[in-house]
Parts: sequence; C-alpha cells; structure tokens
Amino acid sequence: MLCKVTRTFKAGAQNFFRNGWLSIATVGVIVIALFIVNVQIAIMFANNLLLNAVEDRVNISVYVNTDVQEDEVMKLRHEIEQYPEVENIEYISRKQALADFKERSKNNETILKSIEEVGSNPLGAVLNVKAHNPDQYETIASKIDQSSFSEKVSGVNYLKYRDIIDNLNKEIKANQKGAIILAVTLSFIAILITFNSIRTTIYSHRQEIEIMKLIGASNNYIRLPFIWEGVFYGITAAMISVPLTYLYLQFIGNEEVTNSILPLSNARFIKIFLTEYFMKNLVLVVLFQCTFGVFLGVFSSIITIRKHLKA
Amino acid sequence: MIIFENISKVYPGNFPALENVNLKIHEGEFVSIVGHSGAGKSTLLKMLYAEEQPTSGDVYFSRKNISEFKARELPYHRRNIGTVFQDCKLLPKKTLTENVAFAMEVSEKKTSEIEEAVPQILDITGLGKKFDAYPNEVSGGEQQKAALARALVNRPKVLVADEPTGNLDPISTWDIVQLLLKINEFGTTVILATHDKPIVDKISKRVVVMDKGRVIRDEAHGRYCI
Ligand SMILES: Nc1ncnc2c1ncn2[C@@H]1O[C@H](COP(=O)(O)OP(=O)(O)OP(=O)(O)O)[C@@H](O)[C@H]1O
Ligand SMILES: [Mg+2]
Repeated sequence: MLCKVTRTFKAGAQNFFRNGWLSIATVGVIVIALFIVNVQIAIMFANNLLLNAVEDRVNISVYVNTDVQEDEVMKLRHEIEQYPEVENIEYISRKQALADFKERSKNNETILKSIEEVGSNPLGAVLNVKAHNPDQYETIASKIDQSSFSEKVSGVNYLKYRDIIDNLNKEIKANQKGAIILAVTLSFIAILITFNSIRTTIYSHRQEIEIMKLIGASNNYIRLPFIWEGVFYGITAAMISVPLTYLYLQFIGNEEVTNSILPLSNARFIKIFLTEYFMKNLVLVVLFQCTFGVFLGVFSSIITIRKHLKA
Repeated sequence: MIIFENISKVYPGNFPALENVNLKIHEGEFVSIVGHSGAGKSTLLKMLYAEEQPTSGDVYFSRKNISEFKARELPYHRRNIGTVFQDCKLLPKKTLTENVAFAMEVSEKKTSEIEEAVPQILDITGLGKKFDAYPNEVSGGEQQKAALARALVNRPKVLVADEPTGNLDPISTWDIVQLLLKINEFGTTVILATHDKPIVDKISKRVVVMDKGRVIRDEAHGRYCI
C-alpha cells in the first residue's frame, strides 16, 4: 500500500513536470481562480472594516437641558438604557462637557473669553447613546422624542445626521451584496474553467490510460498519479496566487489608484486588511489557498478519471 | 490451459473478424499463429487479455471464463500474461527503462527486485544503450525490443507476442525468436502471431493457420503455408 502511494506520487510528479505547457496552463487557470476569489474576499473584508468603522463612530447625542440635576440625568440615562436597542450609553457631565468644549476651542480667544464672561456653565450634560446596530437609531430617537422626559432634552443630534448615516449604510450594504454575488459567480466560472482544463489534460492521456489497463494496472494505480498531479497543480497554484494577491492588494491599496476605481471600499481599509489580516495570518492564508487549490485539482481529476476507468 | 470455444467476433459495422474458432493451447506449448493480414490473428489474441470481448463463445484461461471476470479482477488476470502488442503500446512520456519498470510497478513488485530485473531484461533483449531514450526517439525495432522486455520482465506464465519482429532485421529477428524459444524451454507458454515464413519454418513447432476469421489448419510441427 505504502509502495503504491510512493510510486504513484512519483509518477504524478513526473507527469506534472513532463506535461510541460499543459501543466503550466492548468496551473495558470487555477491561479486565476484562486486570485479572483482572493480579491473578492479581500474587498468584502475591506467593506466590512469600513462598515464597522462607520458604525463604530455613529451614535446619538442626547443634549440634556442645563437646569436638569445630575441625579435626574442619571435617572434619564437609566431609562434610556432600558430600551432593547441600546448597547451602551456614555455620560458626559456638564463639567466634562465644558472642559471638552474649552479644549476644542483653545485656539479661539473670543469663545474662551465669552465663556468666562458668562460665568456659569452654559452647557448641559450629554448622553452619547450607542445602538446595537445602525438601523436602530431612528427608533431610539423617536422613543426619546415621545418619552415622558422629552421636555428635559434640548436636542437629539441624530436627526441632523440621519440622511448621511442612512445613505452610507445603504451604499455599503449594496456594495457588499454586489461583492458577494460577484464572488460567487466568478468562483463558479473559475471552478468550471479549472474542471475543463483538467479534463482536457486527462483526455490527452486517454491512450496511456488504455495502455496501463492492458498491462494490468489496477484502477487505483491509474487514478492515483492523476490525483497526485491535481495536488501538485493546487499547491503550485497556491504558491503563485498568494504573492500575486499580495501584490495586487498592495497596488489597489494605493490611495491614488483605488479611490477612482472603488469609491467605497477605499484604499485605507484594503491596506488595513493587508497588514492586519492577510500578513498576520499568512500561514492560514497559504493553507486555505492550498486546500482550495488542491480541492479544485483533485476534485476535477477524480470526476474526469472516473469516466475513463469505466469499462 | 487456454481454450477458445466457438469464438465469433463481429466488429460493429464489419463482416465477421472471427468465425467459430475452436483452439486449445496447453501449458508450455509454443504456438505460431499465421495468416494473411486481416485474418483475425490480433483479434484472437486480444480475447486472451480481454481487450476485446467475443461476440459469442467463451475463452477459458486456467479453467476460468475470461468474460466472467469482474472489473477489479481483470488487472490480476492481465498480469499473468506478458503481451507484446502489435503496435507496441509503449507509454510515450516514459523512457524505455521506465516503461519496462512500469510493468513491474503495477504488479506491486519490490523496488529492489525492479532495480535488478529491469537492466537485466533490457540487456537480454539487446536494447543496448538506448534504455534512457523515449519511445519516439528510437527506431521501430528498438521499440519492439522494449515492448518485448516489458512483456517478459514479470516472468509471465504465458507470453502473447503479436508480430514482435515486424520491424526487425533478419539477424535481430532470429535473436528474438531464439529468446522466445529459450523462455519456452523454461516453461513459459508462447503464442506468436507472425507473417514471417522463414522464422515459422525454422521454429518448427505447432502452427495454426488462419484465414478470413477461421482456423484452416493446425499442425503440431507445421510449416508456413497458406
Ligand atoms: N477495432 C476494430 N474495429 C473494426 N474492425 C476491426 C477492428 N480491429 C480489427 N478489425 C477488423 O477485423 C479483421 C481482423 O483484424 P485483425 O487485426 O485481427 O487481423 P490480423 O490477422 O491481426 O492482421 P495483421 O496481420 O495485419 O495484423 C480485419 O478485417 C479488420 O479490419
Ligand atoms: Mg494483427
């Protein structure tokens, strides 16, 4: 059994090298298949990062009237926290709000002076409300609006940003959906092309298969070299597609190039994906590539060889 | 040991290639099968190693009906027979040495055994220094010698040789025939299909004459006459 494995392995390696341009063509097709899938995954990842970044930054600021006491603000906060849509609330006290404001305006003498002239703190406390997901801000805003404490609130800033948030959200989601559909379609085409390419390779060996049968080779002995060859195709393709993907992402991670082609999944996030995910999990990436490539190669080989071994 | 029983063979869309052939070949025999081109010699031999199935009739090998072999038993049956195909059927992407070694590899012989036997048999068949060439780089006669080496390397009980000397000069031909006679002496059954009249006459063993798909003569110490 072991001898069968090593011998067919050797034969597979031999075929791989002696097939010349046919091997190169097959590997090339698998490289393209892997590359397409990689780039799609990278763009999807970058979109996700962008979406997360935007979602992270979105919140509702509830401005409380200046005459509301701190313990009442806490009650209010507690009440809003009860909404199922709310993830967390950041409390900014009047003092803190003033300090923040002063810090922000430290280069503006007039503002600083006028605050000092007022004497008392002109700013109310602020509750920064974060929802579980961005769709929920509208609900939260309207709940606050209709609540018993609505007159204690001087304003909710969500309304101002609503359109921007909604649009961004919609656009990213549409982009994401498009990327998934494209990825699935292209992968499917890539698999078909690989399958066809391997079929051609094996078909060109049909006379050899016939001869091997007549000499008394068992089906396994005929099949295994082709399967090993599929393994070689997959691994070689993976070894090419990983650096190729890296270079390509590096290229579209360049702001000037990309922002004209891919307005949303912008360069910054592709770069983040490249350094934070792709390079940090390089072993995993290579393993995934090999697995996928080998699967493509072996699966196509098995399907095709089955036909030739019948009868 | 080998019995052809009422064999007929009709290739699709053709007149019969074999008609009602009955033939018995005993263990250790040397049988020459002669006849015109198209007489059905190759077709008859193909039934033995199951490249073709008879349209009607049965072929028995060591008492087993070949048509009853299951697909997974067929390789083992074929390994019992060393075959020199009329068209050589060498694997084009393997060197002559590798082609010969391949027959041993598929029979799951030990590597050490292969390394010993392959150069030996190549030497015996007189392939000289060409053993690392690919089939398309050597002459037709050299291909035939390699094909013969491949057929013999597993020391089969039966050797089927379909015109193994068709491309050889008279001296090489005689060398090969002497080799066949020698392995026959050591107990291998040899079935030889050939056109070569002087050779058949010189061998002076059993001769089966075929014509238009029928056996028309079968003599224990025959000569080539049609
Ligand atoms: N695969 C095939 N399909 C159709 N007809 C075939 C096939 N093989 C052989 N024949 C026909 O069967 C007949 C016998 O052929 P066969 O090859 O057995 O002859 P042969 O005696 O070996 O001839 P030769 O001496 O030229 O090798 C011929 O008429 C040939 O045309
Ligand atoms: Mg013939």
